[in-house]
This record gives sequence, C-alpha cells and structure tokens, in this order.
Amino acid sequence: MKQMLRCLLAASLTLIGTAALAEDTWKIGAPQPMTGADAPFGDKFKKAYSMAVDEINANGGVNGRKLEIVIEDHQAKNPLAATVAEKLITEDKVLILTGGRASGQAIEIASVAQRLKTPYLVDHPSADAITAKGWDWVFRQNPPGSIYPEAFHKFITEIPGAMPKSVAVVYDNTLFGKTIAGATMAFLKSKHVPIVADEAYPVNTLDFKPIMTKVKAANPDYLLMMAVATTDAILMTRHAKEIGVAPRAFVGFGGGFGVSDFATQLGPLAENVFSSASWSGNPNAPLTATFYKNYQARYGLHPHEHEVEGYSVIYVIADALKRAKLTGNVEADREAVRQALLATDMETAFGKTKFGNWTGPNGDHYTNQNIYSPEHSVLAQWHKGQLLNVYPKANAETAYAFPE
Amino acid sequence: MPRFTLPALLAAALIAAPLLSTHSFVHHLLIMVLFSTLLGLSWNLLGGFAGQVSFGHSAFLGLGAYSTLLLYLKLGLSPWFGLLAGGAVAMAVAVPIGLICFRLRGPYFSLATLAVAEIIRLVALNWDDLTAGPQGLIITHLPATSILGQTVNWESKLPFYYLIAVLALLGMGLTHLVARSRLGAYLLAVREDLESAEAVGIDTVRTRVLALALSALLVGLAGGFYGLYFRYIDPDAVFSVALSVEMVFIAVVGGIATTAGPIVGAIVLVGISETFRTQFQSGHLIFYGLFMMLVIRYLPDGIWGRVRLALKQARER
Amino acid sequence: MQMFLQSLVSGVLTGTLYAMIAVGLTIVFGVMRIINMAHGEMVMLGMFGAYWSYSLLHLDPFLSLLLWMPAMFLFGMVVYRFLLRKIIPGGELNSLLYTAGLSLLIANLALFLWTGDYRNINLPYGMLPARPFGISVSIPLAIAFGLALAITSLLSLFLSRTDTGRAIRATAQNPEAAALMGIEVGRIDMITFGLGTALAGASGVLLAPSLYLYPTVGEILIVKCFVIVVLGGLGSIPGAIAGGVLLGIVESLGSVYVSVAYKDGIGFVLFLLVLLFRPKGLFGVGRA
Repeated sequence: MKQMLRCLLAASLTLIGTAALAEDTWKIGAPQPMTGADAPFGDKFKKAYSMAVDEINANGGVNGRKLEIVIEDHQAKNPLAATVAEKLITEDKVLILTGGRASGQAIEIASVAQRLKTPYLVDHPSADAITAKGWDWVFRQNPPGSIYPEAFHKFITEIPGAMPKSVAVVYDNTLFGKTIAGATMAFLKSKHVPIVADEAYPVNTLDFKPIMTKVKAANPDYLLMMAVATTDAILMTRHAKEIGVAPRAFVGFGGGFGVSDFATQLGPLAENVFSSASWSGNPNAPLTATFYKNYQARYGLHPHEHEVEGYSVIYVIADALKRAKLTGNVEADREAVRQALLATDMETAFGKTKFGNWTGPNGDHYTNQNIYSPEHSVLAQWHKGQLLNVYPKANAETAYAFPE
Repeated sequence: MPRFTLPALLAAALIAAPLLSTHSFVHHLLIMVLFSTLLGLSWNLLGGFAGQVSFGHSAFLGLGAYSTLLLYLKLGLSPWFGLLAGGAVAMAVAVPIGLICFRLRGPYFSLATLAVAEIIRLVALNWDDLTAGPQGLIITHLPATSILGQTVNWESKLPFYYLIAVLALLGMGLTHLVARSRLGAYLLAVREDLESAEAVGIDTVRTRVLALALSALLVGLAGGFYGLYFRYIDPDAVFSVALSVEMVFIAVVGGIATTAGPIVGAIVLVGISETFRTQFQSGHLIFYGLFMMLVIRYLPDGIWGRVRLALKQARER
Repeated sequence: MQMFLQSLVSGVLTGTLYAMIAVGLTIVFGVMRIINMAHGEMVMLGMFGAYWSYSLLHLDPFLSLLLWMPAMFLFGMVVYRFLLRKIIPGGELNSLLYTAGLSLLIANLALFLWTGDYRNINLPYGMLPARPFGISVSIPLAIAFGLALAITSLLSLFLSRTDTGRAIRATAQNPEAAALMGIEVGRIDMITFGLGTALAGASGVLLAPSLYLYPTVGEILIVKCFVIVVLGGLGSIPGAIAGGVLLGIVESLGSVYVSVAYKDGIGFVLFLLVLLFRPKGLFGVGRA
C-alpha cells in the first residue's frame, strides 16, 4: 500500500513538473473529462490538441508567440464543467475555449463563456441547443445532432427504390438519441413511411434481445439504430442479427457504428450495415489523409472523428489568432478573436469551415454554426471489414449494396 | 459566551468573506462551499439527527430545480418566487414518500430512497412534454431584480453569494432550532431505538416525516439555487445517485447530528476536491476515495465531532 | 408466443448471473451486517482478470475461473483483514460509507492503470448463437448460466455440509450466540468476506465474454444488486437467487410489453411494492 502510494505520488509529481508553464503564449482552454468513465475521450482530444499545437509551434507559432493548450478535468459533471470554464477564463486568462466532450457539459461551458465574453469554439458536442440559444460568443465546427441523418435522407429520396416501405426505430433516451430519432422520424412521416416500432432504451443496456424480438415481430423494411455509446451500437447490432431481424437495410446513427471495433467485434455480422454519420472522414481530401498518416506515425493509433475534430479546431483557432489584432489586453483580444472567427473561411482536416446563422431541419435557429454542416453528413457502409463512403456521390468510395 | 455572539460572528464572517478577494473564481468556490453546506445541513436533519440514512436526496434537489426553472421558463414566474416554490414542491412530495418509505427500517429504508430517486429521475427523463427530457432546461437570461430599491444584476457572482449565504444561514438556524426543540429530542430517541421511542408514546412516523419534510425543503431550495446559478439542468445531473452520496459524505466528514459539522464537511470536501483536481491531472478521485476511507477509519464522528469532543475534554480538565 | 419465450429465456439467463452477484452481497450482509458498496468493483476486477488472462495468456475465460476465483477469495480476505476489520464495529452507516470510499478508490485505480477504454472478449465460439427451438441463445451466456448454477449449488452444499459453512450460518443468525458457542467470529467474518468477493469475482469472469468491461462497470451492477437482495430479503441466499431471476425476467418482459425506457424503473417499482407488502423481502430472514 505504502509503496503503491509512493509510486502514485511520484507519477503525479512528474505530471506537475511537465505542467510548468512557459510565459507569453496564446492560451487555449479546454475543459475535458480526464478522469471518470469518459476519460478515454478526454485523452483522445488531448492527443489531438497536442499534435496540432506542436505542429503549429514548430512552424514558429502565431504572430511570434507559441500556442499553449490548458486542459482542465471536468469529470463529465456539469457543475464542474462550469467551475473549470470559469477558472480557465478568470484565472488562467485563456483567449478562447474549446472542447467540452459531452453536450451537458458544453452547455454549461457555453453559458459561462457567453457571460464572461470569451469565445468558445465547440469541436464535438452535438446538442442543437448549444448553437441555438443565440449565444454570440459560441461557435461550432461540427454539425448539430439533427444534421446526422441528412445523408441518409438524401440517399433514400434520391436513389430510386431506396425509400423504405416501413421502419423500426431503436434509439437511446439521451439527448443524442432522441434528437436524431426525432429528426429522422419527422422526415419519414413527411414521406408517409409507416413507423412500425419506436423504442427508446436506456444507455448501457446489457441485453437488447427483448427489444429486438419485438422489432422482429414488427418485420420492418429498414431498421434504424441510434446509439451515443459505442458499446450499445455494437451490442444492439449483434443482438438484432442473433435474434434474426432481417430488414432490407440496417442503418446505424452515431460514432459507434463507424469505429473499427464495430467490424472486429462483429465479424461477418457487420457486413452491409450502413453508418450515417455527421462526419466519417473524406479520405479523398488531402488534408485528412495527411492527418491520418501523421497521427498514426506519432501515436501508433488510428484516429477517428474525435481526433480529427480536436486537431482541426486548433487550426481554426490558430487561423483566427493570425488574423486578429492582438494587443495583450485579454478582454480586447477575446473580442478581436471573436471578430476573426466570424470571418473564418477555411479548409481543415475536418472539412470546410465557415460560421454563419441558419435554420436546421428541426426548426432550430443556429448562430455561428458551421454552414457546411449539412455537407459533412455522409452515408457509409461496411464491406468486408472496411467502412466505405457510399453517399453522397462526391465522397463515395464504393457502390452501396442491399443484402439479398 | 453570550447567546448572540456566535451567530453574529458567523454572519459577519459570511458578509465579509467575499470582500477579501476580487477573484471571481474565489467567489465561485465560496458559493460552492455554502451550497455544499446547505446540502449537508439538510441531509443531516434526517440522516444525522434521526439516523435515517437517505440515498435519494438528489430527488428533492431535482424537484426544487425543475420546479423553479419550469415556473420561470413556462409561466414566467419570477425565479425568486420560483426558488421558494421549488422548496415547497420538494417538501410536498417528501410527505407521501416519507409515509411510504418510513414503513421500512435501516438499510431497507436507505435502498428504498434510492429507488424512489431513480424512479423520479426516469420520469423526468422520459416525460419530454413537461421536462424536455434529456435536453434539459436552459436559462439564457436572468432579469435584474430590484431588492429594497437596489437593482440587483445577476450577471455577477456577489448576488448569488449572498443568496446562498442567506439560504445556508436559514439551514443552520433551522438545524439549531430542531436540535433544541422537542422534535430534536424525539429524533434522537428514534435514532437510538425506534421501539423504545414508540413505547414511550412518540409518533415515530410523524416525527420522521416532519424531519424529512424540513430536510426536503432545504434541499429543494438548494436545487432552485443550483438551477439559477448554473442555468442548466438535466435529469442525469440533478437526480444523480452520486449527488445523493455526496450529501451523505459532507455530513459524515463534518460530523453528523451537529450544526457546525456540515460547514466543516463542505469546506474540507470542496477544498480537497479542488486541490486534488489541480494537483493531479488524472486519477485524483483515487485520493478522494482514500481520504473518505481515512476519515471514517480514524475520525468516525467526523472532523467537527472530534474537535467538539476535544474542546469538551479540555474544558473539563 | 415466440416473443414471450425469447424474452423469458433472455431474462432467466441474465437473471441467473445477476443472482450470483447478489448472493455474494447478501452473505456478506447476513454475517457482517454491512452493505458492501464496493461489491460491484469486485465484479469488475473479475472481468478484468478474465480479460487479461485471455488476451495475455490466451486462457479461455471460463477456464480462468480456476485461477481468479481463489485469487479473489484471497483478495477479499486481505481487504477484510487490513481495511475493513476495524470499521465494522463502527456501525452500519460508517461501513456503508467506508465501502463507498473503497469503491471510488478501486474504480479509479483501475481507470488510472487500465484507462477507461471499453474492452471485450471475442470468443471464436461466441460469434453466432445457438438456436434451439428457434430461440436465440448466446453460447457464452449459456455456459456462464450453467457455471453460475454449479457454483451457487456448491456454495449451498458448502454452507450446509461443512463445519465452516455451518459456523457461517450460525454467525449470520446470531453472532453473540455463535461467539458463545466457541466460533471465532473474526475468522468467520474474514472467510465470509472472501467468499462474497470470490462470488463477485467469479460472476465477473463469467460475464466478461458477454458484456463490455470498463473500470466503472460496477456502478450499473451494484444498483441492480441492491434491488435484488432487498427483493429476496437481505441476508437470504435463496432470496437473492429468486430475486435475481425475478429481476431478469421482469426487466426482459417489461421491456417488451411495457416500455424499454422505463425498464429500470419497473425493477424499482417492483422493489418498492415488495418492500411495502413484505417489508422483509420475499424470503425475509427476520432480522431487518
């Protein structure tokens, strides 16, 4: 016990040591979950941010100063997210905030950022509300949740014969699941597609067989599955197939349906499952391909949407800092950064980024939401262990297939 | 010491505390300490004095928070009345819950409160029309209020600080009154031995329901404060089991069945959690768990309980 | 009809595993009067044990039971001897909170050491389910079900046929009388805690091929366990088994015929109802 403590103490001391800060940097604050159940996500973003910051600093930084990312742990707890956002703004004097990871925490951060007049550039949280409350200090690079099914909607409308004859919708009762299910069910109703099963399940369900038994009895033409948790995505698909649900198409919404684990853990069961994502990478884009290669070289890991988002957002910030007239007065500089963000128009590994005000499919009025969000939505399909984009045509890597 | 010296000193300290620093983050921490104090005090009324260990107190916090915000967002009721309404709603719901759960004893009671809180959380999560479900409720604007002819702007921290200070003082006053009243004596009798308490003619169910109602009132007020201060609530945040357990920790670390215990507990726990979080980037909850174990192992009466004992011994010597 | 049978089978299979975890919790309560909040973490440790022996040593998880069950038994005894022994006389509330602290400590140590990544064990024979009578049964889950039955039966035999087992039951009924009759209550406590931990660990090993494992998985399991042991009556082994299977079936049928969203709620409502009408649980043993 004592020795273990000593080890821990030593480890933590080195952490403090490396955190010793250099003066005269442009500080970017990022509240992320570094402990608790969401810690792996915090770690992904930390890796992505560090890589972008190191690259930019190796090229001389921005306007003669280096970038510095200050990460604070919010343990995936909302009040703590507000606490650390407050601390980053008032104590660490960061110029801009990013991160957040989950929507609940992001809403707290956005609310604090708005009141304390500090820009907050959202990189991953997807709740529509974050950019639909008229908060003019809040920007978002990634698409809001209701955009996720966009590519799927286009696919079924534009491809002859693809329109489902009936659908079963199974979604988790989180904000993520309900937003996507709501958006896509509204769309299907407008097309007069009967919804034969509508099932909300709690996150981290251990057994999907009862639900899938019910779905099987409804005999849908399409099975639409929404999952915020990767584990749910994989287990739900497995149990659907085990029970023998046999629709014309399985369509998954949410990151879990697009990760490599999906194929390795499901093996042949993953074949032909569609994944409709807000972003699942356009490998045809050179910036994205380079990022994938460099990230793999640096960490020996294959990046996913989180890493791309975190990496790109730092470049968007660096670009804004370059264009802003920074004086060293934090309040004035924050306003200058906000103004610069309003004029952002660039391409990153994530895709095109330009912030604007527009209305989403569920009628939300967005402010400072990336106007290219609807274009980022892609429909991909698993073919022999690989996830390949099938729609829209511009991003397609292969032709779509319906199982026999 | 004259009767009013201690309360006067306390009030003076509370008024002066935020003036010692201009850092708004320090004010935020002070607010968190007082908020935790209020939670600890309210749990203590039932768990400390009556020995009825509730693991579901977040239910009342959530009810208070949701009532306050719903009344403001849907009906436009001033949030400051909403705050009081939140306390009242929590109190009203506590009575039937108490009547049901107090038929159970010891660990059965504790687990029943946990079940009730989980049921309420599930209802809040799935009743989209009322609660907006997992989307939660967001306040984007809090109107300035005028109190005694002064305009109070809720964009800064100080008004929130004084609001929570008043609520915490209310909690302390109530605890103090209960401790000295017949109700307090009944509660202690219930804690010592339920059968004997009944044998001497105490209506133990009524006594416990009353304690629960007062306790729920305080947590409900705290919940309303939470909603207004953080401006965002969702079912998983305000109805969480972790929050219920935190309330227990505050009271136990400070010292149960005392008025000052929860204050000490709140200062220590907010302080420790903040220090650990800044000192150890990852893994600080390991130390938090270890700290809990050490306190219970070596200071089973809580920190204040121990200090009080030491003071008493010193006086007797 | 098939829908009903399928959900019934699913419910019984998961329910049995719930039951096994709950039996560990309930014998510890029966003897020591403490609700071990860290019980879920013991299950988690068993899961990680199976995971590591599978991925590093290529040991089949079900075979690794022979390694991890004794290991967890020893671990439980060590935890009791060095961490818990002094706490128990301090009363129910203190030991409850102490084990809550222990649960934070273990879960966060695991997070620190193994990160919070979701892991799973992909058994080659677990890829596709068996289909007796058109009902889908996952093979790893079926094996786990069989082993859980076997382990629980062995435990009952141990408690009724051996001296130590009888001593445990005597202590559970009345510690003072047991002490007067020359039973070393301290030793019995230690063995019981070891047994409880071993059962939790073993259920973790059995669950590992069917569930995702991550350091905080204990949280979900412990709340279910509470419901089960109270349903069955705190301290009662048959009660915990019945409660576990009952909860499994109710959750499974409830999510088909009532609502998936309220699945967990159904369990809690049932729990409250049982408490109100049979305050000592279905198999209450008397000393509530």
